[in-house]
Amino acid sequence: MKGLVFERSLPRFAAARLTSAFGSGRGAATGPLRLADLDPPAPRDDAWHSVRPLLSGICGSDLATVDGHSSRYFEELVSFPFVPGHEVVGALEGTAQAADGSALLDGARVVIEPVLGCRARGIEPPCVWCAAGHPGNCERVTTGHLRPGIQTGYCADTGGGWSAAGLVAHESQLHAVPDGLADVDAVLVEPLACGLHAASAPERSAEDTVAVIGAGTVGLTVIAGLDFLARKGLAPAPKALLVGARYRHQRSLAEAMGATAALPSDRLTRAVRRESGSLVVGDPTTGGMRLSGGADVVFDCVGSEDSLAQALATVRPRGRVMLVGMPGRMRLDLAPLWHREIRLVGSYAYGSERFGEAAPLRTFDLALELAGDLAQRIGSGRLVSAAYPLDRFEEALVHAGSAGRRGAVKVVFDVRAGSPAGSRPKAQRPPDRRPRNRRDAR
Amino acid sequence: MSPRPGFVLDVDGSTPPLLMWNGEGYQLDRLPEGSRVLYPPEPLAALDDPVAAIRRALREPLGESRPLGELLRPGMRLTICFDDISLPLPPMRAPDARQLVIEEVLEMAAAAGVDDVVLVAALALHRRMTESELRHALGDRVYEAFAPHGLLTQHDAEDPDNLIDLGVTEHGEEVEINKRAATSDLLVYVNINLVAMDGGHKSVATGLASYRSLRHHHNPQTMRHSRSFMDQPSSELHSSNWRMGRLIAASGVKVFQIETTLNTDAFPEQFRFLQRREWEWSWRDRAAFAASSAAMSGAPPRIVRQILHAIRAPQAMTSVQAGEVEAVHEVTTRNVWAQQGVEIEGQADILSLALPYICPYNVNSIMNPILVACLGLGYFFNLYRGRPLVREGGVVILRHPTRWEFHPAHHPSYIDFFDQVLAATTDPVEMHKKYEEGYATDPWYVHLYRTGHAYHGVHPFYMWYWCAHALEHVGRVVIVGGDPAAVRRMGFSPASTLQDALEMASDVVGPSPTLTHVHVPPLLMADVR
Amino acid sequence: MRLPRATFPLAPPTWPAGVPRPAPERRVGLDYDHDWSRRYPARLVRAAVLDNVTRPLAQLVTPTTVRGREHLRHIEPPMIFVANHTSHIDTPLFLTTLPVDLRHRTVVAAASDYFFDRTWKSVLWSLSLAAIPIERNRLNRRSADVATGLVEDGWNLVIFPEGGRSPDGWLQEFRGGAAYLARRTGRPVVPVHIDGTRDALAKDPETADRPPGGSGTEGRHTARLRRAPATVTFGPALEPQEGEDARRLAARIERAVSVLGAEARSDWWTARRLQAEGTLPDPRGPAASPWRRAWALGPRREPGQVERRARGAAEPRTERSRWPDLRPRGRGGSRRQRGQRAVTG
Repeated sequence: MKGLVFERSLPRFAAARLTSAFGSGRGAATGPLRLADLDPPAPRDDAWHSVRPLLSGICGSDLATVDGHSSRYFEELVSFPFVPGHEVVGALEGTAQAADGSALLDGARVVIEPVLGCRARGIEPPCVWCAAGHPGNCERVTTGHLRPGIQTGYCADTGGGWSAAGLVAHESQLHAVPDGLADVDAVLVEPLACGLHAASAPERSAEDTVAVIGAGTVGLTVIAGLDFLARKGLAPAPKALLVGARYRHQRSLAEAMGATAALPSDRLTRAVRRESGSLVVGDPTTGGMRLSGGADVVFDCVGSEDSLAQALATVRPRGRVMLVGMPGRMRLDLAPLWHREIRLVGSYAYGSERFGEAAPLRTFDLALELAGDLAQRIGSGRLVSAAYPLDRFEEALVHAGSAGRRGAVKVVFDVRAGSPAGSRPKAQRPPDRRPRNRRDAR
Repeated sequence: MSPRPGFVLDVDGSTPPLLMWNGEGYQLDRLPEGSRVLYPPEPLAALDDPVAAIRRALREPLGESRPLGELLRPGMRLTICFDDISLPLPPMRAPDARQLVIEEVLEMAAAAGVDDVVLVAALALHRRMTESELRHALGDRVYEAFAPHGLLTQHDAEDPDNLIDLGVTEHGEEVEINKRAATSDLLVYVNINLVAMDGGHKSVATGLASYRSLRHHHNPQTMRHSRSFMDQPSSELHSSNWRMGRLIAASGVKVFQIETTLNTDAFPEQFRFLQRREWEWSWRDRAAFAASSAAMSGAPPRIVRQILHAIRAPQAMTSVQAGEVEAVHEVTTRNVWAQQGVEIEGQADILSLALPYICPYNVNSIMNPILVACLGLGYFFNLYRGRPLVREGGVVILRHPTRWEFHPAHHPSYIDFFDQVLAATTDPVEMHKKYEEGYATDPWYVHLYRTGHAYHGVHPFYMWYWCAHALEHVGRVVIVGGDPAAVRRMGFSPASTLQDALEMASDVVGPSPTLTHVHVPPLLMADVR
Repeated sequence: MRLPRATFPLAPPTWPAGVPRPAPERRVGLDYDHDWSRRYPARLVRAAVLDNVTRPLAQLVTPTTVRGREHLRHIEPPMIFVANHTSHIDTPLFLTTLPVDLRHRTVVAAASDYFFDRTWKSVLWSLSLAAIPIERNRLNRRSADVATGLVEDGWNLVIFPEGGRSPDGWLQEFRGGAAYLARRTGRPVVPVHIDGTRDALAKDPETADRPPGGSGTEGRHTARLRRAPATVTFGPALEPQEGEDARRLAARIERAVSVLGAEARSDWWTARRLQAEGTLPDPRGPAASPWRRAWALGPRREPGQVERRARGAAEPRTERSRWPDLRPRGRGGSRRQRGQRAVTG
């Protein structure tokens, strides 16, 4: 069966970097990613189950990998060849027990929590982080009975979402999709979990001014997360939530999701200045604005040199900058960080969140709830702007790479049987247990 | 040949296309037949010997006032205040009228042995002037005698140590002005009267005031009741300033007012065609027009702006009078009307205005969209006495590129006003209630006003209030050639050509509307019967 | 980019900690050894620069009218030139107005704390202007000896007895150094008045002048170089008289310079008459506030402006003219006119 596989090949890697200079996502055509005939991976024991992907999202980290732009740091943390795709909603083959202990029937729809921690790797006793419910910080991602890989979608042994051949998942990774949640909303659960995790991290008060730089998928999920936590009473709503977004559709989505104001990114710092009543250091006519005060928390959902510099210039002394967008190697002047005692905190994946004295909640559980809530508030499938079959993967990746400019948010692969690239021998197809949501690929 | 008065042209088939300013450039465009065009009077002859006229005015003051020479004695505190960079427009060729007057005053002060002299630029809430602007207004000799010793200051309306509260008028208006000026033995004010709104008690009561004082007449209600604010008897702005001015005089501040009027010779020789009637253009004028408008559309905007703002007008003094404020101002107002008055019968459905590159608040700077609105709907709309040129519910068509650009050093609060306030509301009363206080007291704007070259944080609001009367009076405002996003932000309608604008206007005023076009600059005052 | 670091022996060695090190000697200020600047190679370079670079530049910035140079023909060098001081342009300009033979054999006394405080400055001014360091206020024994020695060796000396540039354009009190040197060497003193260089490059006002308060940008009077006409007037030499002490001689010199100043502003005859009547305007300026002292200086002159004072008029009438003033001044004026024409050769 057809699937996309990423192989280690230095010349193709170099070619990908070159072509991606013409635009993000263009490395797909020349790079180490190719459409191949793949065998379905076999579950290694009773705790592992096969999952057939229905929709698989394309994430910014996937694009960076395909273009050869992701940091060399990750090289030791992945194993080649791997099938990318970690934002997966799929159908379970066989019965299983979900991560929360509930029973799953054959053909049940599940979302995968892709992080591969000690439990998935069969490591006993688990490391301190996995024991505390934070598999994203697992210290053992290169060991255990799986080859190295931080997530499903970066590991040679698990398969990934961008393949009709499917993947295998540990039972701790399986989460049931409620009946009322469509596939197009369920595929967003993993990104929403990332956004929620970032939104939950900093300690906030009701008087805070919060700024979000970037309103692509990462930024929008953070905004959705902040709004959700406020409405559920788990964290205080900020006094003002200001969003800097380059494209108009991003700005209207941000405001629909609960931002106080969404402005073009170059005007965000001014808006934070107005809101926080701070002064400006230096001459605003030359170079960017630096605030003497600023926002209490800034979420950098872009992860570039410019966005991080803007974050450091916009946050108040002793404020927090949450780095949510995946960064790479960059040159940055850290003098403001030192001088103003700013805390720069990375936010990766998810695990469990603690609010006050209550028992910790699994991020994915909250994200599932948020996905349904969001579908009701802004409309189902509003954030999935395009779905492509696997054999048009070059187009899909170029579209995902230029999503902002083309008015899109999230681009997904449609791997469902019945769509051209996903074909299976009929005899092995499990009986349909529930109506399939046929959504047109536009 | 004596200068011809202004007149009303009736556009017919043989009328050539007329010159229309379009921000930092100009074009020729045809107006529909049946339109009327108001042409300003030609510039009056200037004084032959301005210095002698100034000396005579200082010797023979008007009203209840002794000659200046008798008011100066050794050991006294003398403060000389002068109008800031918003006048005249375009800036005058050297020597500036202020330079001539102040040099004569200082000659007399030096002869009388007055040691304690301070010069104050009466900015109110406008931006501070740069060194070259001060040198231009005062001349090198005055600048170099005073500036190195710190005796040339600019009014700082946010300096609590340099403001004095003089009390409250009978209408409850607080009067707070510059302390050095108020506590001097003599306050000499040197004014240039460009339009009928300037001068008189407004010089001291507004020019040297603080925000606390100004908000009593710089607000939507006062501006709506000033119909127009150029016509003193009908202007609430004028009445408020007069009350304040009389209170200032009554509290013992001795003001010796020196007012000058200028003729409307606004453009130098190379740009002479801008002042002449199109059917009287010689071949030189036509060539100059073609060459300059081609150059301006080809060159980068920054260069064009530099060239335009370097224009120095050959405007010259037509009169100078000195003495007691009200007596002086009466003569000055008569002289302004003598230069600028034009009569016209009846109102029109549509008022058309083509806006130039300069207004009082963007000298050596960028005309942002808010200033475009202020120039069109504030100043030019109010150049009338009697009734507005356009009927109630009519349409105003402005012409200006209205680019979404702001000067970050001169107009920082305008940027935020455009982003935040205008996005929320275009109603002057609403913004006065909800947003004005925040902008007036924001510490960063205060800091930039006091130490940089920025207009005060509240100033964009005043620009919008200047339009309040027009916004209430007209049915729709269309801007031809304006940036659509910027125009819509202000609540107006963008049009690409005059024809489209007329179509949009017909929706409001009906088919076959009447149109009046005002051919300014140079300035005029319409007397609408 | 990191540059490779030079190590010993290419770079100077570091001194070991255990070995005592004598204090490094710095020879700047009054201790500066400027003998080399009077040896032939330095003199050659200086002459070339003064004649071919400094002179055209000075004429470009301050087109100068020189008067009274004929007085120099009758004086036996070496002599001591004494001038008023308003601008840094004074020294180079004055040197270029001297006749060539005197120009190449002249040293200039310059304030040691300003011109000789760093080694590179000391080198620069000694080479280009033949400057020697002296104190501003009171000559000490060593500088006096050095200066006397130089004069006796045949060097002409230029000295500014005000001790520094005038802050407001009016003459300051002349100190006694010039007079002392004149008496000690016995050489004649040539008074010189330099007018108009202040318009070209004025002295930066001291911040101490300014009253507190005010927001600061006005009055930030940065040094501006502008074209302005200048007038250099030489006067008849003064010989130190028997029994005249330094103070009286200094006062006589000051009066001589003031008369030359009046002559520069009007003309020779008017200056002499005013001197005879005792009604020379006070060169020290009016005793009044700073603005009135500045005001009394009158308007700045532009290059090309011709200033003529009608007899008895209070102020000169100025007219703009593009061409040098070649009009005859009336009877008997041609000889004076030749001496008054702008310097060309």
